[in-house]
Amino acid sequence: MHSMNTTTGEVATASQGMRSPRRRGGRGRSPRDAGRNLFGYTLLAPGILGFVAVGGTALVWVFWLSLHSINALSQKQTFVGLDNYARILHDPDMRTIFPNTALFVLVLSVLGTVVAVALAVMLNQKIPGINIFRSAIFIPALVTMVAWALVWHFIVQPKGALDAAFDIFGLGPYPWLRGGPLTLVIFAVIQMTKNVGVNVIIILAALQAVPNELIEAARIDGAGAWSRFRHVVVPQISPTILMVFMLMVTGSFKVFEIVLLLTDGGPGIESSVLSFAIYQQAFELNDIGYASALAVILFVAVLALTGIIWQLRKRFVYHESE
Amino acid sequence: MSLSSGGASRTAKRSANYLLLTVVSLLFVGPILWMVSGSLKSINEILLYPPTVIPSVFRWDNYAKIFQLQPFLRQFGNSIVVMAAVCVLTVLLSVPAGYALAKVRPIASSLLFIILLSGIFLPPEATIVPLFLFASKLGWMNTLWPLIVFTAVLTTTPIATFIMRQAFLTLPAEFGEAATIDGATRLRTMLQIFLPLVRPSLASVVVISCWYSWNQFLEPLVYIRDVNLLTVPVALTHFTDPYGGPLWNVQMAGTTLSVLPVLIVFLFAQKHVIAGLTAGGLKA
Repeated sequence: MHSMNTTTGEVATASQGMRSPRRRGGRGRSPRDAGRNLFGYTLLAPGILGFVAVGGTALVWVFWLSLHSINALSQKQTFVGLDNYARILHDPDMRTIFPNTALFVLVLSVLGTVVAVALAVMLNQKIPGINIFRSAIFIPALVTMVAWALVWHFIVQPKGALDAAFDIFGLGPYPWLRGGPLTLVIFAVIQMTKNVGVNVIIILAALQAVPNELIEAARIDGAGAWSRFRHVVVPQISPTILMVFMLMVTGSFKVFEIVLLLTDGGPGIESSVLSFAIYQQAFELNDIGYASALAVILFVAVLALTGIIWQLRKRFVYHESE
Repeated sequence: MSLSSGGASRTAKRSANYLLLTVVSLLFVGPILWMVSGSLKSINEILLYPPTVIPSVFRWDNYAKIFQLQPFLRQFGNSIVVMAAVCVLTVLLSVPAGYALAKVRPIASSLLFIILLSGIFLPPEATIVPLFLFASKLGWMNTLWPLIVFTAVLTTTPIATFIMRQAFLTLPAEFGEAATIDGATRLRTMLQIFLPLVRPSLASVVVISCWYSWNQFLEPLVYIRDVNLLTVPVALTHFTDPYGGPLWNVQMAGTTLSVLPVLIVFLFAQKHVIAGLTAGGLKA
C-alpha cells in the first residue's frame, strides 16, 4: 500500500481543473464556429441523447403513472389524478416509513461525514504499518453491498457472532432484527461501514494536500491541536467534506439491500424505508401507480435536499479563490 | 497532523494508538474474516453457540456445493459480461462527451452538462418502475440488456462524463492549437493529442463503471427471473435450504468466492482503484 499518496496529486490537479478559466468568450458565427459546434454536438449526441431518452422518458413516465390506478394483472389503467399522493398522506405505514428514511438520511450523512473525517484524521499519521489500517477500512467498499449485508445477516442472526460477543460481557441477547430503533441502528452501522472507506480515502487525500506551512504557522502562533484542526485544516478540506456529504445524502436514500435481505422491511413495515417501499409496492404488491407516486416523492426529496445543500454551501465552505 | 505532541510516555501512547487502529480496523475486516470462517464450517458447527472462531474441520466441500445448488460459474460469467459491456459503453459515451464539454464547448454546453450531472443524483429506485415497463415493451425482460444499457446510459455515463470533463479541463488548450496549426483535424487532435494525456482518468472511469455494474442488485432483481441469467449479487441470496432459510455455510462460501476476485484485482491494481475512486469524488 505504498500508493495512497499518489491520490493527492490526482485530486489536486483535478481540482485545479475546476477553477481553470473558461475558454475565451466570443460567440462568433464564423464557419469555423459552425464546424466546432457540429463537432461538439456530434461528440455529445450519443451520451446526451441516450441519457435524455432513457432518463427523461422514465421521469415523465413515472409521473404519469403516479396519476393512475393500475391493475397489473388486467393491465387496466385508470386516471385518478392526485389520489395516489393523497393516499400517501393517509397511509399509516408511511408514518413509519418516512421517519425511518429521514433518520437514515440524517444519521448516515451527518454522522457518516463526521466518522469519515475522524477516521481520515486517524489514518493520516506517518507511522509504520499505517497502510495496513488504511486498506482495512477500505476493504468493505470492495465487497458488494449484497455480500456485506449477507455477512452481517449471518453475524446478527439470533445466537450469532454479535450475540456471542455481547455474551462475553454478560449482556444480551438483544433482538437485533425485531424492529424498533435497535434494528435501525444495526442497519445504519452496516450501511455506514460498507462505504465509509471510500470517503475516508477521499478526505485523506484532501488532508494530505493541506500545506504543512499553514499548520506550522498556526502552531507557532500558539494554536492547540484542536484549534489547528478546526480553524486551519477543516476550512482547507471543506470543499471535499461538502462533496462527501452530498454523495452521502444521495447514497443514504439507497438503503435497500439491507432492508430486503435482513428483515424484508419487517416486522410489518417497522424497518422499511422509502426505496424499499417503492420496490415492495411495485413488484410484490403490484401497485404500480402507488409505487410511482412514492418514486416521484423520492426523486423530489433527493433533488430538493441536494439543491438546498448546494445553495447553503457558501456558508460552510471556505474558498480561497472567491 | 501527527498525534505525537506529548513527550513523557511515548511508548504507552504509541501502543494505545495502535490498539485503537486495530480495534477500528477489526470492525471493517472482522465481518470478512467471519465470513471466511463460516464458509469452512459444517452446517452443524455453524449453528453451535457459542460459535467457534476457527472451524474444527475445514469443510472445503461447501465450495463445491455452491456449484451444485446454482449455475454459479455461469452467473459469474453474466456478471463479468455486464461489467465489461457497461465499461465499454461508458467509455465510448463519456470520453467524447467529456471532451466536447471541456475543449470544444459548443453553444449551450453548460446546460447540457447540468442535465447530464442530474444523473449523478438520480436514485435508481426513482426510475425502476417505468424502466421495468420500458424493458417489458422492448422485450428485454429476462435478458442482460437492461443491466447494461440502462445502467451505462443513466448512471455510469453521467459520472464518467464529469470525470472526463475535469480531466480534459486540466490540459492547456495550446496543445490542441499547436496540432491544428500543424494541420490535424479536430478528431485527430482529440484522439492523438489529448486522449493519451488523460489515461489516469480513463482508468478511473473504468474502475467506477466496473464497481457500479458489479454491485447492481435492484436491477437484476427486477429484470431477471431465469437463474441462468442472474448476476452474482442476486444469486448469492438464493443459497437457501428447501424451507427458504439461509444455508449459512454455503452462502458464506459463495459470498467469499464472489469477494475473492475483487480483492485479488484490488491487490494488483490498488493504485488505479484508489485513484479512480478519489477522482470520482472531485471537489464540487
